[in-house]
Amino acid sequence: MVKAERKPIEEIKDAINGYKRVLITGCGGCVSICLAGGQREVNELKALLNIHLKKDNTPKELDGYTMERQCNDQFLEELEPTIDQYDCVLSMACGAGVQNMAKMFPQIPVFPALNTISIGIDKDIGMYEERCRACGHCVLGYTGGICPVTRCSKGLFNGPCGGTNNECCEVSQEIPCAWLDIFNRLKEQDRLDDIKKIHVPMEWHNQTPRTIIQESYKQRYSV
Amino acid sequence: MFGKKSTTGVNTKEVKAILNEKKTKMELSLKACAHCTLCAESCFLFMGRNKDPKYMPSYKFLNSVGILYKKKGNVDILDLGEMRDLVWERCVLCTRCYCPVGVDIPEMIALARRVCRSQGVYPQYERE
Repeated sequence: MVKAERKPIEEIKDAINGYKRVLITGCGGCVSICLAGGQREVNELKALLNIHLKKDNTPKELDGYTMERQCNDQFLEELEPTIDQYDCVLSMACGAGVQNMAKMFPQIPVFPALNTISIGIDKDIGMYEERCRACGHCVLGYTGGICPVTRCSKGLFNGPCGGTNNECCEVSQEIPCAWLDIFNRLKEQDRLDDIKKIHVPMEWHNQTPRTIIQESYKQRYSV
Repeated sequence: MFGKKSTTGVNTKEVKAILNEKKTKMELSLKACAHCTLCAESCFLFMGRNKDPKYMPSYKFLNSVGILYKKKGNVDILDLGEMRDLVWERCVLCTRCYCPVGVDIPEMIALARRVCRSQGVYPQYERE
Protein backbone atom coordinates (compact mmCIF):
# COMPACT_ATOMS: atom_id res chain seq x y z
CA MET A 1 0.00 0.00 0.00
CA VAL A 2 0.92 3.67 -0.28
CA LYS A 3 3.16 4.81 2.56
CA ALA A 4 3.54 8.41 3.69
CA GLU A 5 4.89 10.53 6.50
CA ARG A 6 3.93 13.89 7.90
CA LYS A 7 5.73 16.98 6.67
CA PRO A 8 7.72 19.02 9.20
CA ILE A 9 5.44 21.25 11.22
CA GLU A 10 7.27 24.40 10.04
CA GLU A 11 6.51 23.55 6.41
CA ILE A 12 2.85 22.97 7.24
CA LYS A 13 2.69 26.27 9.13
CA ASP A 14 4.23 28.09 6.17
CA ALA A 15 1.67 26.59 3.79
CA ILE A 16 -1.35 27.74 5.80
CA ASN A 17 0.12 31.10 6.70
CA GLY A 18 -2.33 33.81 5.71
CA TYR A 19 -5.43 31.65 5.98
CA LYS A 20 -7.73 31.99 8.94
CA ARG A 21 -10.06 29.00 8.81
CA VAL A 22 -8.31 25.74 8.02
CA LEU A 23 -9.85 22.32 7.51
CA ILE A 24 -7.53 19.38 8.17
CA THR A 25 -8.77 16.38 6.23
CA GLY A 26 -7.79 12.80 7.00
CA CYS A 27 -8.09 9.79 4.73
CA GLY A 28 -9.32 6.41 5.95
CA GLY A 29 -7.35 4.50 3.32
CA CYS A 30 -3.64 3.64 3.03
CA VAL A 31 -2.33 6.63 5.01
CA SER A 32 -4.56 5.65 7.88
CA ILE A 33 -3.04 2.19 7.99
CA CYS A 34 0.52 3.53 7.91
CA LEU A 35 -0.38 5.86 10.81
CA ALA A 36 0.29 9.04 8.83
CA GLY A 37 -3.05 10.57 7.87
CA GLY A 38 -5.99 8.86 9.57
CA GLN A 39 -8.46 10.26 12.06
CA ARG A 40 -6.07 9.95 15.00
CA GLU A 41 -3.32 11.77 13.08
CA VAL A 42 -5.77 14.53 12.14
CA ASN A 43 -6.53 15.06 15.84
CA GLU A 44 -2.82 15.04 16.64
CA LEU A 45 -1.93 17.54 13.92
CA LYS A 46 -4.75 19.82 14.97
CA ALA A 47 -3.56 19.80 18.58
CA LEU A 48 0.07 20.30 17.56
CA LEU A 49 -0.74 23.16 15.19
CA ASN A 50 -2.87 24.84 17.84
CA ILE A 51 0.07 24.80 20.25
CA HIS A 52 2.51 26.14 17.64
CA LEU A 53 0.17 28.83 16.32
CA LYS A 54 -0.68 29.98 19.81
CA LYS A 55 3.00 30.20 20.63
CA ASP A 56 3.61 32.24 17.47
CA ASN A 57 0.66 34.45 18.40
CA THR A 58 -1.06 33.64 15.09
CA PRO A 59 -4.04 31.54 16.17
CA LYS A 60 -6.30 30.05 13.51
CA GLU A 61 -9.63 28.27 13.45
CA LEU A 62 -8.73 24.64 12.87
CA ASP A 63 -11.23 21.86 12.20
CA GLY A 64 -10.62 18.21 11.44
CA TYR A 65 -12.60 15.79 9.34
CA THR A 66 -11.76 12.31 8.13
CA MET A 67 -13.44 10.71 5.15
CA GLU A 68 -13.12 7.14 3.95
CA ARG A 69 -10.94 7.90 0.93
CA GLN A 70 -9.79 11.08 -0.76
CA CYS A 71 -8.96 9.33 -4.03
CA ASN A 72 -12.66 8.63 -4.67
CA ASP A 73 -15.07 11.44 -5.61
CA GLN A 74 -17.96 9.65 -3.96
CA PHE A 75 -16.44 10.05 -0.52
CA LEU A 76 -15.25 13.62 -1.12
CA GLU A 77 -18.83 14.70 -1.76
CA GLU A 78 -19.36 14.60 2.02
CA LEU A 79 -17.46 17.89 2.22
CA GLU A 80 -19.61 19.78 -0.28
CA PRO A 81 -22.03 21.32 2.26
CA THR A 82 -19.28 22.63 4.57
CA ILE A 83 -16.19 23.25 2.44
CA ASP A 84 -16.99 26.92 1.76
CA GLN A 85 -16.73 27.69 5.47
CA TYR A 86 -12.96 27.30 5.17
CA ASP A 87 -10.20 29.40 3.62
CA CYS A 88 -7.98 26.43 2.85
CA VAL A 89 -7.68 22.67 3.23
CA LEU A 90 -4.74 20.81 4.72
CA SER A 91 -5.01 17.34 3.29
CA MET A 92 -3.47 14.36 5.06
CA ALA A 93 -3.98 12.05 2.07
CA CYS A 94 -1.37 10.73 -0.35
CA GLY A 95 -0.47 12.77 -3.45
CA ALA A 96 -3.36 11.26 -5.41
CA GLY A 97 -5.86 12.18 -2.69
CA VAL A 98 -4.57 15.75 -2.43
CA GLN A 99 -4.90 16.21 -6.19
CA ASN A 100 -8.39 14.75 -6.23
CA MET A 101 -9.43 17.08 -3.42
CA ALA A 102 -7.95 20.07 -5.30
CA LYS A 103 -9.80 19.04 -8.47
CA MET A 104 -13.08 18.52 -6.63
CA PHE A 105 -12.94 21.91 -4.86
CA PRO A 106 -11.02 24.19 -7.25
CA GLN A 107 -12.20 27.32 -5.42
CA ILE A 108 -10.23 26.41 -2.27
CA PRO A 109 -6.44 26.11 -1.92
CA VAL A 110 -5.48 22.56 -0.90
CA PHE A 111 -2.12 21.94 0.77
CA PRO A 112 -0.50 18.58 1.43
CA ALA A 113 0.36 17.79 5.04
CA LEU A 114 2.13 14.56 4.10
CA ASN A 115 5.00 13.48 1.92
CA THR A 116 3.99 10.40 -0.07
CA ILE A 117 6.97 8.09 0.16
CA SER A 118 6.38 4.76 -1.51
CA ILE A 119 4.42 1.62 -2.13
CA GLY A 120 5.70 -0.56 0.64
CA ILE A 121 5.29 -3.34 3.12
CA ASP A 122 4.64 -3.31 6.86
CA LYS A 123 7.84 -4.31 8.67
CA ASP A 124 6.51 -3.63 12.14
CA ILE A 125 4.13 -1.22 13.84
CA GLY A 126 4.95 2.17 12.39
CA MET A 127 7.83 0.79 10.30
CA TYR A 128 7.44 0.45 6.55
CA GLU A 129 9.82 -0.41 3.76
CA GLU A 130 9.59 0.49 0.10
CA ARG A 131 9.10 -2.40 -2.29
CA CYS A 132 7.66 -0.91 -5.47
CA ARG A 133 8.09 2.30 -7.45
CA ALA A 134 5.16 1.61 -9.76
CA CYS A 135 7.51 1.79 -12.76
CA GLY A 136 4.80 0.26 -14.93
CA HIS A 137 6.92 -2.58 -16.28
CA CYS A 138 7.22 -5.30 -13.66
CA VAL A 139 10.30 -7.51 -13.99
CA LEU A 140 9.83 -9.50 -10.78
CA GLY A 141 9.02 -12.59 -12.87
CA TYR A 142 12.62 -12.98 -13.97
CA THR A 143 14.38 -11.40 -11.00
CA GLY A 144 13.23 -13.95 -8.45
CA GLY A 145 10.64 -11.66 -6.88
CA ILE A 146 13.24 -9.02 -5.95
CA CYS A 147 12.76 -5.63 -7.56
CA PRO A 148 15.97 -4.15 -9.03
CA VAL A 149 14.32 -0.76 -9.58
CA THR A 150 13.48 -0.41 -5.89
CA ARG A 151 16.13 -2.48 -4.15
CA CYS A 152 19.21 -1.58 -6.20
CA SER A 153 20.49 1.90 -5.33
CA LYS A 154 21.19 2.53 -9.00
CA GLY A 155 18.03 0.81 -10.24
CA LEU A 156 20.18 -1.34 -12.49
CA PHE A 157 18.41 -3.73 -14.83
CA ASN A 158 21.30 -5.82 -16.09
CA GLY A 159 23.17 -7.17 -13.11
CA PRO A 160 25.34 -5.73 -10.37
CA CYS A 161 27.62 -2.76 -10.82
CA GLY A 162 31.28 -2.80 -9.87
CA GLY A 163 30.53 -1.41 -6.45
CA THR A 164 29.28 -4.60 -4.84
CA ASN A 165 31.32 -4.92 -1.70
CA ASN A 166 31.12 -7.78 0.80
CA GLU A 167 27.63 -8.66 -0.42
CA CYS A 168 26.51 -5.08 0.21
CA CYS A 169 25.96 -1.93 -1.80
CA GLU A 170 28.72 0.62 -2.22
CA VAL A 171 26.24 3.24 -1.03
CA SER A 172 26.11 1.69 2.44
CA GLN A 173 27.24 -1.45 4.20
CA GLU A 174 23.73 -1.57 5.67
CA ILE A 175 22.14 -2.14 2.25
CA PRO A 176 22.37 -5.65 0.80
CA CYS A 177 23.21 -5.82 -2.90
CA ALA A 178 19.92 -6.40 -4.70
CA TRP A 179 21.56 -8.15 -7.61
CA LEU A 180 23.43 -10.56 -5.35
CA ASP A 181 20.08 -11.38 -3.70
CA ILE A 182 18.51 -11.85 -7.13
CA PHE A 183 21.35 -14.15 -8.20
CA ASN A 184 21.15 -16.21 -4.99
CA ARG A 185 17.40 -16.61 -5.15
CA LEU A 186 17.40 -17.64 -8.80
CA LYS A 187 20.27 -20.05 -8.15
CA GLU A 188 18.35 -21.60 -5.28
CA GLN A 189 15.37 -22.08 -7.59
CA ASP A 190 17.59 -23.29 -10.43
CA ARG A 191 16.38 -20.41 -12.61
CA LEU A 192 19.61 -18.61 -13.43
CA ASP A 193 18.75 -18.82 -17.12
CA ASP A 194 16.02 -16.25 -16.44
CA ILE A 195 18.53 -13.42 -16.11
CA LYS A 196 20.55 -14.54 -19.09
CA LYS A 197 17.67 -13.80 -21.46
CA ILE A 198 17.81 -10.56 -23.42
CA HIS A 199 14.83 -8.36 -22.64
CA VAL A 200 13.58 -5.33 -24.53
CA PRO A 201 14.77 -2.10 -22.95
CA MET A 202 12.59 -0.55 -20.29
CA GLU A 203 10.29 2.19 -21.53
CA TRP A 204 10.25 4.73 -18.76
CA HIS A 205 6.80 6.21 -18.60
CA ASN A 206 7.36 8.25 -15.52
CA GLN A 207 7.05 11.54 -17.36
CA THR A 208 3.37 11.22 -18.16
CA PRO A 209 0.41 10.40 -15.91
CA ARG A 210 -0.58 6.79 -16.44
CA THR A 211 -4.15 5.55 -16.52
CA ILE A 212 -4.98 1.87 -16.56
CA ILE A 213 -8.14 0.21 -17.78
CA GLN A 214 -8.45 -3.46 -16.89
CA GLU A 215 -8.88 -5.84 -19.84
CA SER A 216 -12.47 -6.75 -19.03
CA TYR A 217 -13.46 -3.06 -18.92
CA LYS A 218 -11.88 -1.98 -22.21
CA GLN A 219 -15.08 -2.48 -24.17
CA ARG A 220 -17.01 -0.43 -21.63
CA TYR A 221 -14.70 2.54 -22.08
CA SER A 222 -14.33 1.98 -25.86
CA VAL A 223 -10.58 1.42 -25.76
CA MET B 1 -39.61 -1.49 34.57
CA PHE B 2 -37.76 -0.87 31.35
CA GLY B 3 -35.87 2.39 31.68
CA LYS B 4 -34.65 4.36 28.72
CA LYS B 5 -31.51 2.79 27.33
CA SER B 6 -28.36 4.65 28.27
CA THR B 7 -26.46 6.26 25.44
CA THR B 8 -23.58 7.41 27.64
CA GLY B 9 -20.46 8.25 25.69
CA VAL B 10 -22.34 9.00 22.50
CA ASN B 11 -23.44 12.42 21.34
CA THR B 12 -26.78 11.25 19.94
CA LYS B 13 -27.61 14.76 18.76
CA GLU B 14 -24.59 14.67 16.48
CA VAL B 15 -25.43 11.14 15.31
CA LYS B 16 -28.99 12.19 14.50
CA ALA B 17 -27.75 15.23 12.58
CA ILE B 18 -25.53 13.04 10.38
CA LEU B 19 -28.36 10.57 9.79
CA ASN B 20 -30.73 13.40 8.96
CA GLU B 21 -28.45 14.60 6.16
CA LYS B 22 -28.99 11.30 4.37
CA LYS B 23 -32.40 10.47 5.76
CA THR B 24 -34.24 10.18 2.46
CA LYS B 25 -31.59 8.05 0.81
CA MET B 26 -31.25 5.89 3.91
CA GLU B 27 -35.00 5.28 4.15
CA LEU B 28 -35.29 4.55 0.46
CA SER B 29 -32.33 2.16 0.52
CA LEU B 30 -33.65 0.26 3.54
CA LYS B 31 -37.10 -0.03 1.95
CA ALA B 32 -35.70 -0.96 -1.45
CA CYS B 33 -33.50 -3.81 -0.23
CA ALA B 34 -35.42 -6.91 -1.29
CA HIS B 35 -33.07 -9.31 0.51
CA CYS B 36 -32.47 -10.89 -2.87
CA THR B 37 -28.79 -11.66 -1.98
CA LEU B 38 -27.68 -10.77 -5.50
CA CYS B 39 -25.12 -8.39 -4.05
CA ALA B 40 -23.40 -11.27 -2.29
CA GLU B 41 -21.42 -12.65 -5.20
CA SER B 42 -20.02 -9.27 -6.13
CA CYS B 43 -18.25 -9.11 -2.75
CA PHE B 44 -14.80 -10.70 -2.82
CA LEU B 45 -14.74 -10.94 0.97
CA PHE B 46 -17.99 -12.94 0.93
CA MET B 47 -16.67 -15.20 -1.81
CA GLY B 48 -13.29 -15.57 -0.14
CA ARG B 49 -14.76 -16.57 3.20
CA ASN B 50 -16.75 -19.59 2.17
CA LYS B 51 -19.81 -17.46 1.46
CA ASP B 52 -20.23 -16.56 5.12
CA PRO B 53 -23.56 -14.62 5.18
CA LYS B 54 -22.05 -12.11 7.63
CA TYR B 55 -19.92 -10.84 4.76
CA MET B 56 -22.88 -10.30 2.47
CA PRO B 57 -23.04 -6.59 1.51
CA SER B 58 -26.75 -6.41 2.36
CA TYR B 59 -26.09 -7.94 5.79
CA LYS B 60 -23.43 -5.35 6.48
CA PHE B 61 -25.65 -2.51 5.35
CA LEU B 62 -28.78 -3.67 7.20
CA ASN B 63 -26.87 -4.34 10.42
CA SER B 64 -25.16 -0.97 10.48
CA VAL B 65 -27.28 1.74 8.90
CA GLY B 66 -30.39 -0.39 9.52
CA ILE B 67 -29.70 -0.38 13.26
CA LEU B 68 -28.91 3.34 13.31
CA TYR B 69 -32.19 4.03 11.54
CA LYS B 70 -34.23 1.66 13.69
CA LYS B 71 -32.84 3.17 16.89
CA LYS B 72 -33.24 6.68 15.45
CA GLY B 73 -29.63 7.41 16.32
CA ASN B 74 -30.08 6.47 19.99
CA VAL B 75 -27.12 4.11 20.04
CA ASP B 76 -24.61 3.52 22.81
CA ILE B 77 -20.88 3.09 22.57
CA LEU B 78 -21.20 -0.73 22.56
CA ASP B 79 -23.52 -0.58 19.56
CA LEU B 80 -20.94 1.56 17.75
CA GLY B 81 -18.16 -0.81 18.78
CA GLU B 82 -20.03 -3.73 17.21
CA MET B 83 -20.73 -1.63 14.17
CA ARG B 84 -17.06 -0.74 13.91
CA ASP B 85 -16.14 -4.40 13.58
CA LEU B 86 -18.80 -4.85 10.94
CA VAL B 87 -18.11 -1.83 8.75
CA TRP B 88 -14.33 -1.93 8.93
CA GLU B 89 -13.38 -5.55 9.51
CA ARG B 90 -15.86 -7.05 7.06
CA CYS B 91 -15.81 -4.36 4.39
CA VAL B 92 -12.91 -2.64 2.66
CA LEU B 93 -15.14 -0.19 0.81
CA CYS B 94 -13.87 -1.34 -2.56
CA THR B 95 -17.21 -0.05 -3.96
CA ARG B 96 -17.59 -3.10 -6.17
CA CYS B 97 -20.82 -4.46 -4.69
CA TYR B 98 -23.67 -4.59 -7.14
CA CYS B 99 -27.33 -4.07 -6.26
CA PRO B 100 -29.94 -4.77 -8.95
CA VAL B 101 -32.38 -2.25 -7.48
CA GLY B 102 -29.73 0.45 -7.21
CA VAL B 103 -29.03 0.62 -3.48
CA ASP B 104 -25.69 2.39 -3.09
CA ILE B 105 -24.34 -0.01 -0.47
CA PRO B 106 -20.87 1.60 -0.25
CA GLU B 107 -22.46 4.96 0.45
CA MET B 108 -24.50 3.40 3.25
CA ILE B 109 -21.46 1.66 4.77
CA ALA B 110 -19.55 4.95 4.51
CA LEU B 111 -22.43 6.62 6.36
CA ALA B 112 -22.17 4.10 9.19
CA ARG B 113 -18.41 4.69 9.31
CA ARG B 114 -18.98 8.42 9.41
CA VAL B 115 -21.29 8.05 12.40
CA CYS B 116 -18.71 5.86 14.17
CA ARG B 117 -15.90 8.32 13.38
CA SER B 118 -17.96 11.23 14.71
CA GLN B 119 -18.02 9.47 18.10
CA GLY B 120 -14.33 8.58 18.07
CA VAL B 121 -14.95 4.94 17.15
CA TYR B 122 -12.58 3.87 14.36
CA PRO B 123 -9.81 1.31 13.76
CA GLN B 124 -6.66 1.64 15.84
CA TYR B 125 -4.26 0.09 13.37
CA GLU B 126 -1.25 0.07 15.67
CA ARG B 127 -3.14 -2.03 18.22
CA GLU B 128 -4.53 -4.56 15.78
